[in-house]
Amino acid sequence: MVQNRNKLIELFIGNISNAIVHEILKIAVGKELVADKYRKEFETSFDVACRYREMINPANRSLPDRDIDYIRSKIINRAKAELTIRISKGYDNIDLSPVEILTDKALKNTKIK
Amino acid sequence: MELVSKISKGSKMDQVYIPKNRNSFNIGDYVVIKLLGDTKSQTVNVPQKLCFYDVENIEPIKLKIIQELIKIIDDNIVNYGNIIITGSFLERGFNFNDVDILMITDKNINTKLIENLIAKKIGIKAHIIVLSNKEMAKGLETDPLYKVMLSRCVAKKKFIYRQKRVLDYKLLDLHLLESKVLIDNFDILTGSEKFKLTRNMTSIFLYINGKKITNESIDKEIARSLGAASEDIRQNILNKKAFLKRYNSIYYKTFNKIIRGIRNGSKQK
Repeated sequence: MVQNRNKLIELFIGNISNAIVHEILKIAVGKELVADKYRKEFETSFDVACRYREMINPANRSLPDRDIDYIRSKIINRAKAELTIRISKGYDNIDLSPVEILTDKALKNTKIK
Repeated sequence: MELVSKISKGSKMDQVYIPKNRNSFNIGDYVVIKLLGDTKSQTVNVPQKLCFYDVENIEPIKLKIIQELIKIIDDNIVNYGNIIITGSFLERGFNFNDVDILMITDKNINTKLIENLIAKKIGIKAHIIVLSNKEMAKGLETDPLYKVMLSRCVAKKKFIYRQKRVLDYKLLDLHLLESKVLIDNFDILTGSEKFKLTRNMTSIFLYINGKKITNESIDKEIARSLGAASEDIRQNILNKKAFLKRYNSIYYKTFNKIIRGIRNGSKQK
């Protein structure tokens, strides 16, 4: 499966933003997630994002600033959009403020920056 | 092979019952019955029988493996509630990667140690998940995947898992989101990963529609709504375009229903 760099970056963005939405919703559910022990075995969006990351050059060091800015803003926008859909449909208790922090954390963990 | 069983009283003849799932003693074989000991003085050490839930047939070798697994755990861990074997290991054939073992206990268990012992002694990869009784009960109440997990299993001790169904829509939204991975990442996922994500979505779909959740009902629903056999998903032999079109449709149908549930405040407390 050969894919061009831009496509891989888009797939990476999609998965990281999904992982961030997941994290925010976990906070919104606001209780101990008992199911986690069983569900943590799932192939998560973050795991899949890591697979794409390995295919994006440079794989072992930070990406150029231009790429970082693009990826960061797209992740934030996508995650917020996904969460806003829920808010607009009546889902209460969703806090959008951790999105930026979680995005930066994810970018560091995946060696994007 | 030896089996220990009790003589029970019948109307015309007394009988000795033996489990249908066993390593040996085929129908038509001749066997010898002999007295093991005096039950009144409790000198008979009767081995514990396994409890089978929706496992009609199991290969004798797998039964032997389960007994070995339980023995290894018994030798190394004391005072646990139950051991439950579940997952693909119980499916017909030998197309499994590991053995899923649920240990029901409130204690902290070094699962890695036991997993290594099992790998060393039986040469099988075990995957142990430790849950307390409370966690198990809560999982069964709110998470359809727990129902799937226990719809077919072998347990060391008998247990009751009929819990009331609690529709916690926010939790279901969270669980459903996991299955979104398949929509954008069809090409990179293996067949087994695709199947897990599809099963997760389908179990939630059945759950919110008040339908029964078993491995069979999920397979049937996958075939009906996605037009694909579960085995084809596992084998990763799918028509991408057709499959994704149907998958998307079911995903968003389920998502919209969940969101309606959240909006209507139908979360049962």
